[in-house]
Amino acid sequence: MRKSFLTKLTGITVAVSLLLAATACSSQDASSNAGSEGSASSGADNGVSSEAGSEGSIIKVSMGRQTLQNVTFPDGDTYEDNAYIRMAENKLNIDITDEFEANGDDYDRQVSLALSAGDIPDMMKVNTLDEVQELYENDLIADLTGVYEEYASDYLKSVYDSYEGRAMENVTFDGMMMALPGTNTDSGPSIVWIRSDWMEQLGLNIDEDQDGCITIEDVEAIAKEFMDKNPENAENVVGIALAPWLTSGDPDGTFSMNSIAYALGAFPKTWMEKDGNVVYGSTSEEMKQALAVASGWFQEGILDPQVGTRTWDDITALLANGQCGITFGTWHIPDWLLNNVYALNSNAKFEAYALADANGKVNCKHNNATAGYIVVSKDFDHPEIAIQIANLFYDELVNSKELLEEYPEVASYVADGVDGSSRPFNIEVNSYTSLLDDYSDLERCLNGEITVEEVRTSEQRSNATSISAYLEGNEDATGWSKYHSRSKGVELIQTLTEKNQFSWLTPIFPQTTPTMETNLANLEKLEEETFIKIVTGDIDVESGFEQFVTDWNKQGGEQIISEIAEQLQ
Amino acid sequence: MEGMKNKKRTAAKRRSEMSYHFMVFPGLFFLILFSYIPMVGVIMAFQDFVPAKGLFKSEFVGLKHFIYMFQLPDIGKIIRNTMVIALGKMIFGMILAIAFAILLNEIRIKFMKKTVQTIVYLPHFLSWVVLASVVTNLFGLDGSVNQFFTSIGLDKINFLGSSKVFPGLIIGTDVWKEFGYSSVIYLAAITSIDPGLHEAATMDGASWWKRVWNVTIPGMLPIILLMTAMNLTSILSAGFDQIYNLYSPIVYETGDVLDTYVYRIGLVGRQYSFGAAVGLCRSIVGMALLLSANALTKKLTDQKIF
Amino acid sequence: MVENRSFHSKVRVTVIYGIVLLLGLSCLLPLLNILAISFSGSAAVSANRVGILPVDFTLTAYDKILSDGQFWRSFMISVIRVILALALNLAVTVPMAYAMTKSKKEFRARNIYMNLLIFAMLYNGGMIPTYILVRNLGLLNSIWSLVLPGALPIFNVIMLMNFFLGIPKSLEEAALIDGASPFQVLIKIMVPCAKPSIATVSLFSIVGSWNDFFSGLIYMQKVENYPIMTYIQSLNVDIQELLKSGASSSALENVTELSNRNLNAAKIVVAVIPLLLIYPILQKYLITGMVMGSVKE
Repeated sequence: MRKSFLTKLTGITVAVSLLLAATACSSQDASSNAGSEGSASSGADNGVSSEAGSEGSIIKVSMGRQTLQNVTFPDGDTYEDNAYIRMAENKLNIDITDEFEANGDDYDRQVSLALSAGDIPDMMKVNTLDEVQELYENDLIADLTGVYEEYASDYLKSVYDSYEGRAMENVTFDGMMMALPGTNTDSGPSIVWIRSDWMEQLGLNIDEDQDGCITIEDVEAIAKEFMDKNPENAENVVGIALAPWLTSGDPDGTFSMNSIAYALGAFPKTWMEKDGNVVYGSTSEEMKQALAVASGWFQEGILDPQVGTRTWDDITALLANGQCGITFGTWHIPDWLLNNVYALNSNAKFEAYALADANGKVNCKHNNATAGYIVVSKDFDHPEIAIQIANLFYDELVNSKELLEEYPEVASYVADGVDGSSRPFNIEVNSYTSLLDDYSDLERCLNGEITVEEVRTSEQRSNATSISAYLEGNEDATGWSKYHSRSKGVELIQTLTEKNQFSWLTPIFPQTTPTMETNLANLEKLEEETFIKIVTGDIDVESGFEQFVTDWNKQGGEQIISEIAEQLQ
Repeated sequence: MEGMKNKKRTAAKRRSEMSYHFMVFPGLFFLILFSYIPMVGVIMAFQDFVPAKGLFKSEFVGLKHFIYMFQLPDIGKIIRNTMVIALGKMIFGMILAIAFAILLNEIRIKFMKKTVQTIVYLPHFLSWVVLASVVTNLFGLDGSVNQFFTSIGLDKINFLGSSKVFPGLIIGTDVWKEFGYSSVIYLAAITSIDPGLHEAATMDGASWWKRVWNVTIPGMLPIILLMTAMNLTSILSAGFDQIYNLYSPIVYETGDVLDTYVYRIGLVGRQYSFGAAVGLCRSIVGMALLLSANALTKKLTDQKIF
Repeated sequence: MVENRSFHSKVRVTVIYGIVLLLGLSCLLPLLNILAISFSGSAAVSANRVGILPVDFTLTAYDKILSDGQFWRSFMISVIRVILALALNLAVTVPMAYAMTKSKKEFRARNIYMNLLIFAMLYNGGMIPTYILVRNLGLLNSIWSLVLPGALPIFNVIMLMNFFLGIPKSLEEAALIDGASPFQVLIKIMVPCAKPSIATVSLFSIVGSWNDFFSGLIYMQKVENYPIMTYIQSLNVDIQELLKSGASSSALENVTELSNRNLNAAKIVVAVIPLLLIYPILQKYLITGMVMGSVKE
């Protein structure tokens, strides 16, 4: 049996190698067929005049699109066939089909699978610059430099230009523009949200100079008052609750202690340059001080005794049940998180504050200028369509009211707030100052300086309407949310900007280095675990932090820093 | 296959042989298409596979990826994780299944026996996708188990987020899922033991324990050995479905196994060639294990796995 | 002495019954927990107040499922897949297994085929090459991508072969002498005799196809084509990941709308109902399957 098995094995090998040759041909045939199907597909002539199809024929565009779970479309609409898509198809005389659609992580896998087959859709979104680079190195994507120059509208160009080259620089490889980048505006600091109805009820007063800035001591005092007086007679009151990960790489990290750290000059989870050296913010001396503050709060009982084990949902529940009246988070949490508080208690109101440092400045850091990228297949004959789609959605749709009149179903999408991921490209292209520009429109509208119709963007028009309704006493939840996020949250950022209160840090945004790939997850784990232990007093602040810095460097941190330094040269 | 046999084959025999070929053909078609053709992809492991160039034009780099693999500190860790988890599952799974079979055999209330059997076999048939939710509900930070711990004054344990506990959780939940189903075969083995042996032992005044130890277990030994050999073959597969649905970066340290690693590096990480190299090594070792287990079983029990 | 002994045996019996009962409960309670969650109010669920009985009993989760188009589409995809896979598996494995029972004398190529089967069981080409093949065959997004790559479960072929070998040769020979063709023998004699084992293999096929989530994840490029387990698998949304990926505020709004845990639990419950329905049959063939799968000369 053994012997015959071996002889048979040789036989099999021969058979397999024959097959090998056979597949070689067949698989190549198949792929070249697929390729030609994809590119040489010009549909029937329907005579609609178009900007793109010079011959008047419909151009088929296949796409890879990142979707979102639970998006509610009007009846019958889908990601592949909805008002936005129909408008683009009609306007540009194209026919969009989705080659793949997936949510979140699943999407990255689809991109990788497509890449493994060397056969990507005509256009697709990718999430990281690493992927753009890999596609570029594989020679699968088209250089967009020429078509961008020729077809991008002046407005679109001005939007990208508002990043002073930082946006385009990210997608430029060997002098060629290899992707259409999504922009990423600064999101501002992690705002301290305090229940203003409670403060009123208890007769508390902070921020007397009305500049929106408060200190760490203020927060501490308010938290103590809230715990003592327990305005809603809740069980188990908690002064301040934090998420188990404590700090965030985003400046505005929700449920994080970022604002405390920033106020002390620490920038956790941030790569930055300091005195000519690359440093990692979490290992700085200032970070230790921030942890000391949190640890002190924990000992005094101001900080949630269950910190580290409270999950995201738990903290939301603490706020909603009136057990806790202070939280930290980005300007838009009233839209999707604090709305849970309003849902249970319609008297709830929040005020937004920023934590200032000893000099009265609010420390904040810039975000990377780009997030999300659209790449175009090299085999696609009409790369200009990508630019035209961008013009349509990030210029015309934003700026032109006629377009909405022409496509009433799109107007109703805008009004109903159907998620932006339903547009052909799931990226945002906003000017660097868009957040504050939008706010100024909204403010002027609410002040009566301009009418709702004069507000520039359609999204802000619907915000203006619901906020006015809320201010007139309408108890609609959307009005409450939008009032808190757009008026309170963004207003704070506007005030700080206007009064020049911000002190901005420009971090380093390194590409993923080899050691990052292998060690970063563990380093982050080390960081989060140690920080929680320090805060809860499991280990001593001084010696514990020192040990952390040593371990962090030893376990690959030092190596990553030198790799980043190399990148910068 | 030019059969130049001495014996002349009758027409009928030749006809029936043709029939057998026909019977094999549909299966053979799928076997070649979906098993053998993809094997061609193994050459990826010896290339710097560039998708745009395809399998036949990418540059060959010899053993580069294999050398790199053995230089990676991670690989040792991953092999260790895989073996710890797989061995743990095998050992504890077998012990519990055998013990359960012995205990269940003692149950004389028919209704209870039937009901318990019905219940314990059930988890085997449920997908890890489903059971992952069950496990998370139980062992999450605020799950029932931690609530119980808190209520008796113990600290919460982050089962799903702690490197120390995670392998235990994986082993434990797998043992839980499979012990009922695995016990079936041991139960069958117990019932096939000659009752006369038990009677004789009882006559000699042997206690229950003694009888279990001297009669039941030796009677089950061939099956136990066979199952051990069979299970040994899966020592490199620690259960992709289960771990994939339960793990997170926090527990990669102890929870990342070969299959999940190949998936993450080779697919999500887009290092196709490296993934293929690791996969190839895994297959070769797995194959060697299976062949030796087969030989071993044949020697020990005069039976073979295939 | 005798009393002492019976006392001991009473204690022993109690302990044994106790342990067996406990093990039984350990399998039952976690499943009851998820059932209870599916019937509980979402507030109670997020507060982790649900044990093995529903708290604030409500059917809202099930009500929501009724109108969830995607859930039922995925459910139906899985149902169709199970049927197709079962038909194909049987059509392919039964004749092949029978041919494999023939000796080298009767069927000269037998050992070649057998070795091909065994080698394929030991070694597979891996995920990426298989994916590229399925893609080049144009099967992506088609239900056939879930069915065809698994059309030949080799292990089942070998199991069936072993079972066929256990059927007395005399039956077969008698038929052959009467002039029956191998196909007639297979259909008229072997298949009826092998009914229990064919049932077992069928059940393996059903359970396997129903529970598989991974091929859906790889071969289906759109959520609308996901089979049920892939769909369930994709329900787990990690808010932290979403935040890291810079999701828009409206995206976060959608995800955090409410604690979805009771809804997800209800989906899981509905997704295992088909298995529970065939479970009594499953159990009947459990022993055949287990014994067949391992012990055979």
